[in-house]
Amino acid sequence: MLRAELAVAQIIGRLQEVVMQSLTVSGTFWLAVTLLCYLMALQIFRRCGGHPLFHPLSLTASAVAIVMWLTDVTASQYRGDAAILQWLLGPATVALAVPMFNQWQKIKNLGAPLLVSIAVGGIIAPALAWGVIYLTHAPLAIQMTMLVKSITSPLAMETGAAIGGIPALAAVFVILTGIIGAVAAPVTFRILAITQPEAQGVALGTVCHAVGTAKALQTGVVEGALATVGLGVNGILTALVLPLFF
Amino acid sequence: MQQLTASILGWLAIVACYLLGEFLVLVADAPIPGALVGLLILLGGLLIHQRPVFAISRGAQPMLTHMSVLFVPAVIGVGLFWDTVSANALGIVLALVATTIISLGLTAWIAQQLLRGKGQK
Repeated sequence: MLRAELAVAQIIGRLQEVVMQSLTVSGTFWLAVTLLCYLMALQIFRRCGGHPLFHPLSLTASAVAIVMWLTDVTASQYRGDAAILQWLLGPATVALAVPMFNQWQKIKNLGAPLLVSIAVGGIIAPALAWGVIYLTHAPLAIQMTMLVKSITSPLAMETGAAIGGIPALAAVFVILTGIIGAVAAPVTFRILAITQPEAQGVALGTVCHAVGTAKALQTGVVEGALATVGLGVNGILTALVLPLFF
Repeated sequence: MQQLTASILGWLAIVACYLLGEFLVLVADAPIPGALVGLLILLGGLLIHQRPVFAISRGAQPMLTHMSVLFVPAVIGVGLFWDTVSANALGIVLALVATTIISLGLTAWIAQQLLRGKGQK
């Protein structure tokens, strides 16, 4: 019983802290700056026809970093002020259940071959990345962070933290993985003669998570649906399985 | 107005699933993300209900569409680890670029073999 009370106190305490921080002058200022930068980034992204290189996240983060540099604010100050954004990632992750549910029929129809494809991608991508980073003698925290690079950022950050990685770095690895994959996908598929929309979608969603899924959605409905499935299933499996090993 | 109420109620339901997930993980001292448990609770609920819930879909939409902005603090946080990153830059770039492209191609190729003939109905 005591444990339950402690848990409730911890959750409410965190929520209170985040809300209070947002209501301070600097909290409101940085939230406004971030949202403004994001709106501009969205405009640019749309003007460029949704090219993955101009992903709104990289544009927004660069713009915020410039404002921080001009106002001489450190990264840890900013993170404190904009903590509510990070908190909201929790509910946003839960919201992924909605597209998963909408694709449920598709998951059932394609069945085992679909799940095997996702599992293969879900194992190959982190294993290869870990192998490379291990060979370069990077510190353990970076090795652990590499393992979560192919799953969707909110899950990657929490799973990364659970296995001894660096959550902030996980978010960056994830977004870079997505951008690289989305840019390279058309050429890769052409060289390997991957013509099946289902296969393209599964690979994009499983290996390149949300950015890959956005790319797949631009290509077609089938690609997008399968990418959503890949993103969801791989994210859930990786987040459940990795903590068991480390 | 009604749509707005639905969106807010749906959003609150999603937040409730999240908080419940966090609570369960803390109480059970489990090493999995609380948000993941929340996701499974919501997915389970929707599957039991068997129909899409209008309010939940509305409440989820803005967060799904604009998820990118929620990662800004995390990305800015890389500044805190800049030394570690630049010290291992070569390995990180290799691991990200080369292996992502190889994994993408390999996964698509395997999926194409496995899903052949299982196309849409």
